[in-house]
Amino acid sequence: MIDFVMSCWDDEAGGFGAHPGHDAHLLSTTSAVQILVTQDALDRLDIPRVVKFILSLQQPSGVFAGDSFGEIDTRFICCALNTLSLLGHLSDLDIDKTVGYILQCKNFDGGFGAVAGAESHAAQVWTCVAALAIMDRLDVVDHETLAWWLAERQLPNGGLNGRPEKLEDVCYSFWVLSSLSILKKVSWIDADKLTKFILSAQDTESGGIADRPGDMADVFHTQFGVAALSTLGYPGLVDLDPVYCMPASIIASRGLNKDWEALPRRT
Amino acid sequence: MHHVKYVKQSPEAIAARKQREKAKIADFLALTDDILTRKKQSDWSKDAFDLTTRLLQVNPEFYTVWNYRRNILVNGLFPKSSPQEINELLANDLSLTMVALKAHPKVYWVWNHRRWCLENIPEGPEVDDPLGWRKAYWDKEMIVVERMLDVDPRNFMAWNYRRYVLASMPVPRSELAELAYTLKKIESELSNFSAWHQRSKVLTALWSDGRLDPVESREAEFDILHNAMFTDPNDQSVWLYHRWLIGSGDDKERLEGEIAVIQELLDEKRQSGDQESDNKWCMESIVYYKTMLIAKHSSSVDVVGLRTSCEDFLKQLMKLDPARRNRYQDKLTQLVSGHGVL
Repeated sequence: MIDFVMSCWDDEAGGFGAHPGHDAHLLSTTSAVQILVTQDALDRLDIPRVVKFILSLQQPSGVFAGDSFGEIDTRFICCALNTLSLLGHLSDLDIDKTVGYILQCKNFDGGFGAVAGAESHAAQVWTCVAALAIMDRLDVVDHETLAWWLAERQLPNGGLNGRPEKLEDVCYSFWVLSSLSILKKVSWIDADKLTKFILSAQDTESGGIADRPGDMADVFHTQFGVAALSTLGYPGLVDLDPVYCMPASIIASRGLNKDWEALPRRT
Repeated sequence: MHHVKYVKQSPEAIAARKQREKAKIADFLALTDDILTRKKQSDWSKDAFDLTTRLLQVNPEFYTVWNYRRNILVNGLFPKSSPQEINELLANDLSLTMVALKAHPKVYWVWNHRRWCLENIPEGPEVDDPLGWRKAYWDKEMIVVERMLDVDPRNFMAWNYRRYVLASMPVPRSELAELAYTLKKIESELSNFSAWHQRSKVLTALWSDGRLDPVESREAEFDILHNAMFTDPNDQSVWLYHRWLIGSGDDKERLEGEIAVIQELLDEKRQSGDQESDNKWCMESIVYYKTMLIAKHSSSVDVVGLRTSCEDFLKQLMKLDPARRNRYQDKLTQLVSGHGVL
């Protein structure tokens, strides 16, 4: 696995692509670093080069681009914070400048969008809230309003959606729930109903979890379903760090854990 | 990955499908290999360019090949081309992305390539009409994004792209025209929060520099909202927009007026005997606005009366909307303890 990750290194750019021979991008660089950290293999990395690659993508406005072609999105701010902190280089970042852009993405409903002016979307909310948590700047979030907006994502069937009047989807169990976990308002949704919804989206024959009951399972929704179940206290799972979407023990061992809340683990 | 229906397949069916796909996969891998090898060698030829066309038509999510294609244009084809020829190359790529977008409306890489094409349209066609080509392309983009939003009115990539186009056009469109567009979308689908959101952004801009009188305009917005509320009191979008319009709650008269309207709606719903659970938004909003009255205008309102009313509504909400009972309980605790926190 480690060898595969290293084979995705783009030496020209100083970052990781999605697959061998693919161009470096912030998304795949984040995944690569998370995997290497999980596998305790950071020694394989040219850390200064990766840090340089990440920092080079910050724009004058404070947002990050995904690569040299310049697409901007708050997802990339989250990637940058996640990766820089895991690599121990958070201090290289201009925190105020980064917070400044996130503030431009804040909407009246307490939520955040992909870019300045964009509609609040649960996934972008998570990227901004997680980034702010890493920077210890949750003070700029309107906790009550945002937690309310997040709680309103729960639909009668127990599932969560990403925006008003949209359909439920298991991956929003993660984006919404982790945000609530960081804001310490997990109790504002019905945990039991959400748990039942996630479990009902399983493929009971081949395993895995889908976006909703009746659909095909995939790795993406399996990850986010399991992550959400951990926060909901599902028995037999390890604790999830909602800021990083990684095992809490790994994040804690690096001294990066923040003050979030999860439901007690049932036995 | 999203919206893929579960289909149970026998091991034989799966094996048969894999056999059929084997040839396709082999072709695709060979094409990929050829392209990535040429890329490594900095091959900026027309042949390489045509290969990327073939691959991207099959898989428009292959971001590295979009990158390579742009580099071929910049390093290989543009330097040998007249402005007119560059224009044609870009027109072609815009068509390519249009086809891709119809089948893949939510693939970031396709939208990105489209933006890149627009940003590289050369000056022309004439020296005395240097913005001619650009104006034509950017104008056309408004039609493209309008079509995308007709197909999926909530596609946030399309809405973000729309804002990008409006901000980038060489001859800016009037914000009043955009305001009318948001109304059109709202009237066709009340629950389209993306349109309400856009409306809030456009109005903010129009009020900030006085192009629209905020007082008259707000009044008109409340009228629209009242109609919407009475038409579909269940629609979350309407209540969210209402909250935006109320804003900080400094206007006491407005707050009291709106509470009265919402109460009227609630009474009407109860009289007609509709499902109680339909009234959640009325109650939630009344609690929010009454709490606002307490917080902002305590010296001139019946604080005790308002607090009692809120407590009563919150207890009802706990039964009506049990999924969020803990939130209502937290609000109740705050109220009872005398903290009018919103």
